[in-house]
Amino acid sequence: MINLKDIRDTARDMLTKGEVRAVIGWQQGSRGMAAEPVVITAPEQADSLVWNPTCYHNLSLYLVNDKKAQAHSKQKPTLPIAIIAKGCDARSTVVLMQENYFRRDEVYIIGVSCEGTGVVDEHKLAVALQGAQPTAAAFEGEDYVLTLADGSEKRLSAREVMADRCLECREPFPKENNLVLGEDKTGRSLEAPFAALARFEQKSEAERWDFWKHQFERCIRCFACRSVCPMCFCDECVVDSIEMKVVPATTAQEKADRVRWIERSATTADNFGYHMTRAMHLAGRCIDCGECERVCPVNIPLRLLNNKMEREARERFGYEPGASIGASSLVASFRDDDPNAFIR
Amino acid sequence: MSDEQVYEPKVVAFLCKWCSSAGSDLAGVSRIQYPANATPIQVMCTGGVSPMYVLSALRKGADGVLVSGCHPGDCHYIEGNYLARRKLHLVKELLEFVGIEPNRFRMSWVSAAEGGKFAQVVRDFVEDLRPLGPQDKVKADRS
Amino acid sequence: MTNKRTGVFVCHCGTNIAATVDVKKVAETMALEGTVAYSADYVYMCSDPGQNAVIQAIKDNQLDSVIVSCCSPNLHEGTFRNNAIRAGINEFTCEIANIREQCSWVHKDRAAATEKAIKIVRSAARRVVRNQSLDSIAIPVTRRALVIGGGIAGIQAALDMANAGLDVVLVEKLATIGGHMLQLSETFPTLDCAQCVLSPKMVEVSRHPKVKLMTYSEVQEVSGSMGNFKVKILKKPTYIDTEACKICDDCSVVCPVVVPNEYDLGLTSRRAIYIPFAQAIPASYVLDENACLGLHPIRCGKCKDVCEVGAINYDMLPQVVTEEFGAIIVATGFDLYPQEKILEYGAGNVPDVLDGLQFERLCSASGATQGHVLRPSDKKEPKEVVFIQCVGSRDPAQHCAYCSKICCMYTAKHAQLYKHHVPDGRAYIFYIDIRSGGKGYEEFVQRTMENDGAVYLRGRVSKLHRTKDGKVRVMGTDTLTGQNVEIDADMVVLALAMQPSKGTEEIAKILKIGRDKDGFLAEAHPKLRPVESVTGGIFLAGAAQGPKDIPETVAQASAAAAKAIILLSQPMLSRSPTIARVRNSHCTGCEMCVDACPYVAIRLENGKAVVNEVLCEGCGACSATCVRAAIEVKNLSLAQVNDMIEAVMTV
Ligand code: SF4
Ligand code: SF4
Ligand code: FES
Repeated sequence: MINLKDIRDTARDMLTKGEVRAVIGWQQGSRGMAAEPVVITAPEQADSLVWNPTCYHNLSLYLVNDKKAQAHSKQKPTLPIAIIAKGCDARSTVVLMQENYFRRDEVYIIGVSCEGTGVVDEHKLAVALQGAQPTAAAFEGEDYVLTLADGSEKRLSAREVMADRCLECREPFPKENNLVLGEDKTGRSLEAPFAALARFEQKSEAERWDFWKHQFERCIRCFACRSVCPMCFCDECVVDSIEMKVVPATTAQEKADRVRWIERSATTADNFGYHMTRAMHLAGRCIDCGECERVCPVNIPLRLLNNKMEREARERFGYEPGASIGASSLVASFRDDDPNAFIR
Repeated sequence: MSDEQVYEPKVVAFLCKWCSSAGSDLAGVSRIQYPANATPIQVMCTGGVSPMYVLSALRKGADGVLVSGCHPGDCHYIEGNYLARRKLHLVKELLEFVGIEPNRFRMSWVSAAEGGKFAQVVRDFVEDLRPLGPQDKVKADRS
Repeated sequence: MTNKRTGVFVCHCGTNIAATVDVKKVAETMALEGTVAYSADYVYMCSDPGQNAVIQAIKDNQLDSVIVSCCSPNLHEGTFRNNAIRAGINEFTCEIANIREQCSWVHKDRAAATEKAIKIVRSAARRVVRNQSLDSIAIPVTRRALVIGGGIAGIQAALDMANAGLDVVLVEKLATIGGHMLQLSETFPTLDCAQCVLSPKMVEVSRHPKVKLMTYSEVQEVSGSMGNFKVKILKKPTYIDTEACKICDDCSVVCPVVVPNEYDLGLTSRRAIYIPFAQAIPASYVLDENACLGLHPIRCGKCKDVCEVGAINYDMLPQVVTEEFGAIIVATGFDLYPQEKILEYGAGNVPDVLDGLQFERLCSASGATQGHVLRPSDKKEPKEVVFIQCVGSRDPAQHCAYCSKICCMYTAKHAQLYKHHVPDGRAYIFYIDIRSGGKGYEEFVQRTMENDGAVYLRGRVSKLHRTKDGKVRVMGTDTLTGQNVEIDADMVVLALAMQPSKGTEEIAKILKIGRDKDGFLAEAHPKLRPVESVTGGIFLAGAAQGPKDIPETVAQASAAAAKAIILLSQPMLSRSPTIARVRNSHCTGCEMCVDACPYVAIRLENGKAVVNEVLCEGCGACSATCVRAAIEVKNLSLAQVNDMIEAVMTV
């Protein structure tokens, strides 16, 4: 079990010694029990850090934000930035480095193992608590211990209320790290990887279309999924440009040549275009942190799409997203024996 | 379109310049007849076919999308078709996953010497598309 | 964008297009496009008046871009781009819409074909709206040529280029140059001795100061493109110092290993250390490492012991050299179709059933029997010989669909040679029909029948087998008389089909040049570019491109050489400028394109992709891979393709 004190001590120590310029972690949120991301820059802030089942945010997003902020500032930092990373956070950090978004030495990865559990799914928790309001959550072996509004404590088996992605997680341990806290329980089996996907694929073609049509109809194109995704770091999205990236060097031709692959309006066809493109663009890059699905206000099961691509990558192409900084990207490489039977 | 008219599927065919477009030319030179449903768009190589092309064609109302290039090992650009094969496999899987009929997307290897095969590929594709009827699942309304 | 002024020119191609496509309607429909300022149809766009009309229309209407809807761009893109230049606009603002090969010729329904033609032309017109004016890229040329294959085709091509002053490297896989021609006894229709014709050429090429011979070598890897190829060549070890070898034959006498001699097609044998044949070039022995007992004094070492000049070196290693060339000529020749595949004729297991090349060796003064025609099984003079033509050729069901072209002639020659050696013998020739087009060829065949009394039997041989008394029973039908024919022959000679040589497939893969349905190297155009491959700077010569006889091979070799000379006599080559460009504002430097580019044409500079314009071939792999639309090919950009899709989907 990870001792919170160790996390805080590590962060404090590194900031005190001036080894890093900031630590990205979680702190107690301002509302309810949920934690929230925080970037601390002073040793004394270390005590605000928390580590509990509500640390679901993928903090590598804040590495992206940090990098973007640098683009606007004149001074380039000399010290690395530290990130507290779960298995999934570390994998997406690897992808970002694979794509040269930052160099390995610009980041200090303080890995935290999810060990036998993972983060909580608030919907499942609400159901399990039957209306009771939790104010705090803590890891306790394979259980979560919740403090309720009335001050009482409730112990739940983590498996009951854990996020699906954590149940299916094959690597709850940040392999890429500078330092790691907690035990490596890679290979623990709570539920088979891609279990939900496999269940979905049992459906017939018509059922699948009915399902997705329903989802595409409901998408309100709020772009929450894209905003929360560390991989969607582009300044201007190919699919739907909320902001047109214009720099002094942008030529008139470039402006004119922007393609409107899909329309802004949230119609079924355009939502289809958006989600298909997003899935394609995340193929081999998505490491299944599940954040897109978590933040979707209309509960579109986005993980299914991304999982589908990930499983293809693994099973057909032997490609493991987020495993190696030096690897060629999934779609920028091939093997002679890639599937060919689908081609006439 | 009047009711008695048979439904004619609209196909966008992305053909690589060096093999499949040349193969299609050979079908022409050999006067091999095939249905007029597929309109070719010549690309340099299947490796240059972005998944966006396929999605865009469907969104614009294509009933079927064909991507055709050189046989493995024969790509004029050495390995473009291998890159295409991987990428378009993903596209195909994804489309099927969300419930688009598998027969709406097709890929083929047609060499410059295979005029007959090109004609056959188009014929087969059109025949397979007919029973599916118009693709309106992801076609954008254009008003 | 709306101030674009495109001209659309719809060609009737006589009736080739107009018979199926309503060309007037195409032109009228295109006139409605917002960017089209001029739209017309004409009976023959590519004729002189047609071309002039295009030029005039561009000038008169201040057109800035042109769509010619006609035949395949492979045929007339160049023509009309030149017209664009003559009319004072940039050649890359001219595009072709192919409504002949890909439309009028393959459809009968006029309405459907017209609708499709409109879509094709419209998509071209929408595309050209965003075409940029571009300038060709000039690159320097390496004035050296590589010839692959040291047969008569390769030798001729190498000599022609060397005599034009180019540096030439001639690579041959075997230990000597000469190829199959060297195995021939006499040649038709003049019956002059093959070696007498070829040997002087071999000597000439080997002594030519501009030619570097690399025998026992193979091309391993080719990169770069027209004008600047980089080629890796593997020099296999012969274990003999070629310069030092005195060809005294001391070594082969002591060598204990005996293997079949491939030069004599197994009719004789050789040792593990051997000279391919007496006039081999380079004149040196070679050590066959697969046959040798072990390349080590402890294992055997006999040859090394006896070699007085110390030419043998067991430690010789394979060497890989990298050379640069501006042009490549592929002349990898042919092989005979394997006799093993001809099951009905015993699949090579019936004694005294020979293939044509074996028969050449029997007739040759330098062959197994010193020029006496003796059948292999008992060394007796055969008195009845059956020659079977078209074995494996013209048989689409089982073997090769094509005609091997030379078999009629060489069978006639074989019959003559046989009769000259064995005047009292009888020669029977089974044929389907006689193809003897060529100077003096028909007369030659007539002589075979009339002067030499060869019996021509029209028909196929259905099967053959060995009889108890050691003859070969040939069973066939004479289709002219309708009679079944049975001949107990002393020997049978099969005119096996020609097929591309074994190495041709591999070399085609290495060079990325196409092959036709029969495996022969594909020419860029069957009529107008018969010695060019589809890939610029790579030319074809000899039987690797298709069955042909010696004069044709030599002619093609000289033609290929001329093409290479033309290419390499230009100080600079111009390359297509339709290459990738990076949209810096969108590039995040992820390097996906760098990994995807087959030509290593992209590198990262200050965190942005940069395209090397000499290396980029414009394939678009980068563009399809980049998830940020930050890189695309000029004049076939993402926006252009999107517009084309839109055009195709517009009814
Ligand atoms: S793939 Fe796109 S974003 Fe990445 S380096 Fe290449 S051009 Fe830039
Ligand atoms: S188009 Fe792109 S991938 Fe193709 S050669 Fe040029 S830079 Fe490389
Ligand atoms: S050129 Fe045909 S697939 Fe690459």
